Amino acid sequence: MTIPADTAILSRKARSWTLVAGLALVGLHLVVALLTLVWTPFDPTELAGRRLEAPSLLHLAGTDRLGRDLLTQIMIGSRIALTVGTAAVAIGAVLGTTLGLLAAFASNWLDDALAAALDILIAFPTLLIAMLVVAASDGANLSTAILALGLGLSPIVARLARILAKRVLLMDYITAARTSGTSWPAIVRIHVLPNIWPGLSVNLALQFGLAVIAEASLSYLGLGAPPPNASWGRLLQEAQGTVFSAPIGAITPGIALVSLVIGINLLADGLRERNDPARSER
Amino acid sequence: MLHSRKLLFSAAFLVATSLSPLAFAQDFDPDATVNIGSLYEPQNLDNTAGAGQGINEAFNGNVYEALFRLTDDGKVEPVLASDTKVSDDGLTYTFNLREGVSFHSGEPLTSADVKASIERVTAEASKSSRKKSLATITGIETPDDRTVVVKLSQRSISLPYNLSYVWIVNDAAGDITAKEDGTGPYTLSEWRRGSALALERFDKYWGTKPSNEAAVFQYFTDATALSNALLTNAVDIVTSVQSPDALQQFSDNPEFTVSNGASTTKELLAYNDRVAPFDKIEVRKALARAVDKKRLLESIWGSYGQVIGSFVPPTDPWYVDLTNIDPYDPTGAKALLAKAGLANGFEFTLDTPDYDPHPIVAQFLQSELAKINVKVNLNIITANEWYTKIYQKHDFQATLQEHVNHRDIVFYGNPDFYWGYNNPKVVDLIAQSETAASEGEQTEKLKQANQIIAEEAASNWLYLYPQIVVSTTKVSGYPVNGLNAQFFVSGIRKAD
Repeated sequence: MTIPADTAILSRKARSWTLVAGLALVGLHLVVALLTLVWTPFDPTELAGRRLEAPSLLHLAGTDRLGRDLLTQIMIGSRIALTVGTAAVAIGAVLGTTLGLLAAFASNWLDDALAAALDILIAFPTLLIAMLVVAASDGANLSTAILALGLGLSPIVARLARILAKRVLLMDYITAARTSGTSWPAIVRIHVLPNIWPGLSVNLALQFGLAVIAEASLSYLGLGAPPPNASWGRLLQEAQGTVFSAPIGAITPGIALVSLVIGINLLADGLRERNDPARSER
Repeated sequence: MLHSRKLLFSAAFLVATSLSPLAFAQDFDPDATVNIGSLYEPQNLDNTAGAGQGINEAFNGNVYEALFRLTDDGKVEPVLASDTKVSDDGLTYTFNLREGVSFHSGEPLTSADVKASIERVTAEASKSSRKKSLATITGIETPDDRTVVVKLSQRSISLPYNLSYVWIVNDAAGDITAKEDGTGPYTLSEWRRGSALALERFDKYWGTKPSNEAAVFQYFTDATALSNALLTNAVDIVTSVQSPDALQQFSDNPEFTVSNGASTTKELLAYNDRVAPFDKIEVRKALARAVDKKRLLESIWGSYGQVIGSFVPPTDPWYVDLTNIDPYDPTGAKALLAKAGLANGFEFTLDTPDYDPHPIVAQFLQSELAKINVKVNLNIITANEWYTKIYQKHDFQATLQEHVNHRDIVFYGNPDFYWGYNNPKVVDLIAQSETAASEGEQTEKLKQANQIIAEEAASNWLYLYPQIVVSTTKVSGYPVNGLNAQFFVSGIRKAD
């Protein structure tokens, strides 16, 4: 069956729209995060206004219980979310890919054992693993949260890396490389990594979104960035008690969180379409 | 205007109901079940075994009675002691027990039960927080079933008060961490761990019959869920509301009553007075002056609560308003720091319990103290860590804590207490206040001690919590002050 040309054009347009919208949303957060390194409307700890002020020209998102500017806090929250997301995904990617490749290259029984272990780990929600790691470490702070989330994400990455790598290892060019005496590290570097990267990168982008939500959850539970770090999760937690009298305090960090995660997902979608020519031709 | 209209309406209603041939003999249901929402579930049922404040809330005066009780307005009155004689030297107290009192198991109350009950609290294994205040007891004699003679090593003017939290338990009851055998107006009918504790009227109670048949304490871990339970009529009363923002939905609604009573809960920044730089009075005074406590209180409690300037709440007989000793004055604070040789400020770690309101208070302090170049590093800890690291090991620089008890200024007379305040003059005054011959003398000594403690800024007393009870308008007759976390349910009336 052939698809009429105009529909194909429309869906391609829609696809490029997802990539552009994703880039725009994530880019906006990135710009804000970078901006906070040099400028914020107020000092984040300054008691700049009265308690729970409504939005005004001076405080565009109002103030919190202590009278601190909420826009400032939310902007800094972008920085924290992006930092944690990037670092956690980096840890998860390095650890997960290493484990996954090890399993893919391993002998049958080791592969089975690793695959089973990964399946068991995946059965635990990322957040739960992260909470265990934070609980086991000495006190909650930003770096334990990053490490915990990285560890929590690694089994998901590992499983995907293993499957993708196994598929690549069946290819003729691998057999050719092997018979010509190419070393294993070289095969990984030259053949396997470049071939699994497109699939893996899309998944990593999705994991990034998960990591951002998980960080907010950890902070909401008091296991993430300690005060006065303005994590969105902590802002939500602090606004919980005032949600009836000053709902804006809970709405704005929520919007920030949702916009970043949607942006990342749109970006991942767009990337998948670009990296997967077979699908975009359909 | 609004008020008078309401009054007019209720007057009209009263007239209408009294004229009606079906007018009620009483305006409440004597067989009602009162549902009480609380955030303080007890860990077990024994107040000498680390059960937490929740057990006092549910059981004091309800399931268990003592020789005396602290009423909701702060007076000590006899309950199981029908009369008390004190020897001239103040070292021998003779208590006569009330006639006709029996335990829930059916056994009569005797002097042996009283002796065993006091000894439970003073025992080696007891975890009662007030064990030390009964340490002057050297012996308890029971010449007959109705008489208890308590001998003291020195005068103890607070003995009746201190006996008000010593539950009288049947000496044959054994372990009471999961069951009870008291003399109170209610028996325990069911305890569902993690959710509720149900009390039922005890029909053979010696005193006034409760005005309801049962009271169920329903436990919540989340204040928002608790508010919602009240809004949906799942509970009739909330024993203490912990945020002013939850109140708006009730104060604007004619179906609910909000009471603003006196609490004894104080939020304080406690320094470790043993360690530098907090061993210097100037430094402590500087930090006291650098914090705008009115503003902090408003941030946490809106228009509720009170700044008291010391550790003594207005319901203690020795209360004096000491807010003028170290008023808010950042410039003066800087000068004091300079005098202490810290003109460039300093840095310290504030161990902050991870539950409300401490983290938000800590951030406020961080912001205020930054203005006088004092850098505060926050270390968030759990309640358990607080207990071992700070309360037991004294391993800290400064911490935040709320102290809930009535008459607890005596902690400043104990140099081994976690905050390590040690002024021999205060230790003496507090010891003398206890051996005073009259309450007037006791009050005088404690006022002097309080003055010195405040002058030396032993701790930074931030504010006194309000005690806010919210109920539906259907119920009345409940305690509004919650002294020592008590919540007497016997007088609660619920309309049909």
